[in-house]
Amino acid sequence: MGRVIILNGSPRAPRSNSKRYAEIFSENPKTEYHNIARTNHLTLCDRLADFSDLLIVFPLYADGIPVTLLNFLKTLEQNPPPEKPVVSVLINCGFLEYRQNDVAVDMIKLFCKQNGYRFGSVLKIGSGEAILDSPFKFLVARKIRKLRASILSANYRELHVTMPLPTRTFVRASTSYWTEYGKKNGVTKEQMSTMDIEKEIEK
Amino acid sequence: MKLILSDRPLDIKITGDHIRYIDLSLLKIANCIGCFGCWTKTPGRCVIRDDAVKVYPLIAASDAVIYVSRIKYGGYDTVMKTMLERAIPVQQAFIQILNGETHHVQRNVLPKKATIIAYGDMSGGQRKLFERLVSRNAHNMNFESYRVIFADEGQLDRKVAEEVAKWEE
Ligand SMILES: Cc1cc2nc3c(=O)[nH]c(=O)nc-3n(C[C@H](O)[C@H](O)[C@H](O)COP(=O)(O)O)c2cc1C
Repeated sequence: MGRVIILNGSPRAPRSNSKRYAEIFSENPKTEYHNIARTNHLTLCDRLADFSDLLIVFPLYADGIPVTLLNFLKTLEQNPPPEKPVVSVLINCGFLEYRQNDVAVDMIKLFCKQNGYRFGSVLKIGSGEAILDSPFKFLVARKIRKLRASILSANYRELHVTMPLPTRTFVRASTSYWTEYGKKNGVTKEQMSTMDIEKEIEK
Repeated sequence: MKLILSDRPLDIKITGDHIRYIDLSLLKIANCIGCFGCWTKTPGRCVIRDDAVKVYPLIAASDAVIYVSRIKYGGYDTVMKTMLERAIPVQQAFIQILNGETHHVQRNVLPKKATIIAYGDMSGGQRKLFERLVSRNAHNMNFESYRVIFADEGQLDRKVAEEVAKWEE
């Protein structure tokens, strides 16, 4: 049995950036990893009892925690393990500023406070949609290893990382990133830039 | 147009067809799966064809909104949060600089005056966190101004009626 269990709260967990971040964390073998799915909440709640540390890996969604994770936390609230692990967070967001994750991290802290869990470490990643396939991957990898060391040594701490780019340069890079994304689907930059939103369909 | 989105039934009288009231608890809305189809495959259109696709065009077309939601961990509870996540087709993938920060470009989304009415258990710092959340939303959801109101569940009908009356002034 390892010390750390990782739960992935991304709605696209099997294909998520969160999963790739978790894999870097898990280069150390002593972790157990699960995607949070609609149907496995109770199983996951049961697993927590065996671990001293829980690492929740998830993306920022509409300035908060994704519904996938919110619903799991609500189940966990009703089904707490007999021994509560320390809860750490690895969060990533699409925008450059890692601080845009602050509110979501504080939601997890509030969950911990309300439910008697100790909060551990946090790593806030900005530009998290694209950084793993950028030349700056090594910066994230380094921070994830620091996160791991802090959890394994119980010297919990707050960490953050983002692309070391001026905002304007990031905006240009993100435009290329998304243009390429569309191209793979046969959609042009002009089509992606449409101002039109589908019309309301009759009720 | 003006829009009232609620995560529970409200007993309110709406006069005039410039105000739309939607009880999200009656709709079938699955959670966003993060496929980015609405940005990169069928721009402006969600690939999941459930009731959410009736709602985000209304959000975009409204210059005033009232959102009524239970509060959980300092954020919106599941019903409202699910809808807000499904509303990203109203934005483009492309990013711009807004107030010194990076944010997505909005498609045809009217700037709006937003009133967010939160109810439920408010203990342990939930209010402060919720206010911070809404101030973040303001950037990403094109709120030109907003107010956050905390209410008891029993007062909701009256609170909403008061806010709607302000629209009529
Ligand atoms: C519905 C939805 C809402 C999002 N909201 C935000 C947001 O508010 N701020 C942000 O920086 N990124 C936002 N993102 C971007 C994701 O956080 C980003 O793409 C992240 O890398 C996804 O991680 P994952 O692959 O682990 O799910 C959003 C993405 C989706 C699909």
